[in-house]
Amino acid sequence: MRHQQRMRRISVPGRKVQLATAAMLLVATTVTACGDGQDDGGTASAPKAPATIPELTKDPLTLSFIWFDWPPAQALEAFANAEYKKERPNATIKVNTVPNANWHDAMFTQFAARKTDFDIAILDSQHIGEAVTNGNILDITDFVKSNIDVTAYNPYLLAAYGQFPQAETGKRDENASLYGLPLLGDTWTMIYRKDLIGDKPPQTWDEMISVAERCQADHPGVSGLAFHQANGSDAAAVTYNTVNGVYGGNLWDAKTRKIEGVLNDAAGQEAMDVLVNRMKPLTAKGSGNWFIDEVNAAVAQGKACIAFNWIAASGGLLDPKQSTLGTTREQILDKLGFATLPSQKTNLVPLGGMGMHVSAYSPTENQAEALNFMKWFERADIQKKWAAAGGVPARTDALESPEFLNAGPFNQVYADSVPRMRDMWNVPEYARLVDIENTNVNAALNGAKNPKDALDDIAKEQQAVLDSSNRRGGGGL
Amino acid sequence: MSDPVPLTTDHPGQVASATPPAPGRSRRLSDRGLAVAFTSPALLLLLAMSVFPLLWALYLSFTDYSATRGGPARFIGFENYTAILTSAQVHQRALTTLIYVVGAVTLQTVLGFAIAYLISRRTHGRGLLTTLFLVPMMLSPVVVGLFWRFMLDAQFGVINSMLGSIGLGQVEWLTRQRTALISLIVVDTWQWTPFIMLIALAGLTAVPKYLYEAASIDRASEWFRFRTITLPLVWPLLLIAVLFRAIEAFRLFDLVYILTNGGPGVSTETLSFHVYKVAFLGFNTGTASAYGILMVLVVIVLTQLYLRYLNKLKEG
Repeated sequence: MRHQQRMRRISVPGRKVQLATAAMLLVATTVTACGDGQDDGGTASAPKAPATIPELTKDPLTLSFIWFDWPPAQALEAFANAEYKKERPNATIKVNTVPNANWHDAMFTQFAARKTDFDIAILDSQHIGEAVTNGNILDITDFVKSNIDVTAYNPYLLAAYGQFPQAETGKRDENASLYGLPLLGDTWTMIYRKDLIGDKPPQTWDEMISVAERCQADHPGVSGLAFHQANGSDAAAVTYNTVNGVYGGNLWDAKTRKIEGVLNDAAGQEAMDVLVNRMKPLTAKGSGNWFIDEVNAAVAQGKACIAFNWIAASGGLLDPKQSTLGTTREQILDKLGFATLPSQKTNLVPLGGMGMHVSAYSPTENQAEALNFMKWFERADIQKKWAAAGGVPARTDALESPEFLNAGPFNQVYADSVPRMRDMWNVPEYARLVDIENTNVNAALNGAKNPKDALDDIAKEQQAVLDSSNRRGGGGL
Repeated sequence: MSDPVPLTTDHPGQVASATPPAPGRSRRLSDRGLAVAFTSPALLLLLAMSVFPLLWALYLSFTDYSATRGGPARFIGFENYTAILTSAQVHQRALTTLIYVVGAVTLQTVLGFAIAYLISRRTHGRGLLTTLFLVPMMLSPVVVGLFWRFMLDAQFGVINSMLGSIGLGQVEWLTRQRTALISLIVVDTWQWTPFIMLIALAGLTAVPKYLYEAASIDRASEWFRFRTITLPLVWPLLLIAVLFRAIEAFRLFDLVYILTNGGPGVSTETLSFHVYKVAFLGFNTGTASAYGILMVLVVIVLTQLYLRYLNKLKEG
């Protein structure tokens, strides 16, 4: 009984002590979670990289990249470890990959934490604006001036993967800052069945649709077309943007930041009509969620007359183990042809590929190694070796080299497409803009929305996002 | 030698706690001290992983903070809450979530109870059958989503192949507005019916046998026995299972992400999926925090109402 009373006497102040301890822990957790306060005073501009590469470490070092999971990622890791190690034996290259749909989130959630487990972010050209505005990647303008021969590149390729603010299509602003260098060039190729539609690829978009229509009618079980329609990543958006470009439309007026009335003008409406009412009926049933892999699977299984896919993802089509079109690469090539996209009112093609960008939160010695790697990678001899290893280089001499042109049947397509490329919007709001376009185009393609309404909704919603761009992280969806 | 512990008492709990510490134990460490020592790691974890993020999210929900854009969090009052509650986009996602929750939980309850009832009537192989039925529940939702995605593929999927073999046409399971939501409900039902079944089975096993024996003596029909004995006794337990499932279904994210990615268009986007987009595509952290807090509030209010109903049922 005495013990019980003692316990009771202790319990009231004890409870207070516990409550006080809990409160202190909560405060401590809050302080720890808030870090050193740098977060709150974050500046909205990218830190500068040195013009000359600082002294490199002699200790073992792992240079980490982040990319999405696809064949070029594995090719880069193998190539870099084989070649870069010859010059820097203490450096190991690790290309970390995430599923394509998580790519943006995987990079930018780490950027948001101001701590990255990668040294080089492989950003899509459209991600640059977001990363630069938030100060997540290094400004390498001075480094490029001192270490890279910019005249060796098509100016637009150099601008597309590094320049911010975004370059005008086909040009480079030499006064603008650079934040990255090209890693992998890419664009769409038209893949066609030579045994079904003949050796000569269609030259115009209208002709392509007619040929696909005929092929589908003549070959039951084979669909006329296969292309990206999914609502994840930028799948359906790139498809619409491609048709929009070919039919003379524009995504926006970059100078006035106007989308409404530009995207959904007569040319934009025509493009949407062509996509939904003329192209979609020629695709396989249930293909409304197809992206890179599904289109490749349809081609490899002989289920499509004409398909569109990224060149960098097309290598597997020539692998007899993955194809029903032949037991050897030659047999497959007898049936498959690769061509540049047909033109119509314009000859624009989508700009794909990615650049290398140094994380602002990477340790100093890793940043130095990253700059050294980039300088090494952009050398003429290395670009040719990268081409021979299956990569798509950006330097003009490498693009014109036999190492590149003979490495794959679609490489000539890329070389021919370079002067025809057009990119999307490279602005900090890119992720939201592309999501709006993806979901609406996907809805139109799958009958969930009228095509005209879908296009008008895209223009209206995207305009609202651009107009509210000075709003920070609240008050809007 | 320690004091003898009484064998019987009216208040065993109190007597047990009043027992003085065993001799030999350090005087500095009382029972209470030991209890605090053992519970504090869990409490610390709870504070750091649940309480703090919740309070932090509550604070951010009244600001315009963006995780990527940096800068100080500016207080904007209820602006985020107003924007969410008046948004047509949110209303659309709320309706989708409601249809999904009602559809999935109803189907799972009916099927789960039916399977449990059938299993409970078997004398042989009950254990094996129960174990087999529980397998889907043990799988990761991502794995379930991935293999159902293959199975439901319109071109290459086994479901359409089976439909084709009995002369039915191809169905676009994941790319049409109606079938996509139905597919989500079906997949969720496949995975979580065993949960309802398990709880219903526990309830059915606990029904006293003598009630059925008495009913048999009175020559009561099978339906009468089910309606007046089985269902009333199992119902309260079943309602708790429904509560758990409804809360889980309300938070659905993973299956949507893997199976439809919210499509076609946004027709299968649930509230959780939308919060994810607001938080990680636009990095509107303040708005996303308010969205999350509102979802928690909705669950708490609905759960309270439901629990009151359960208590009334119990009293009745």
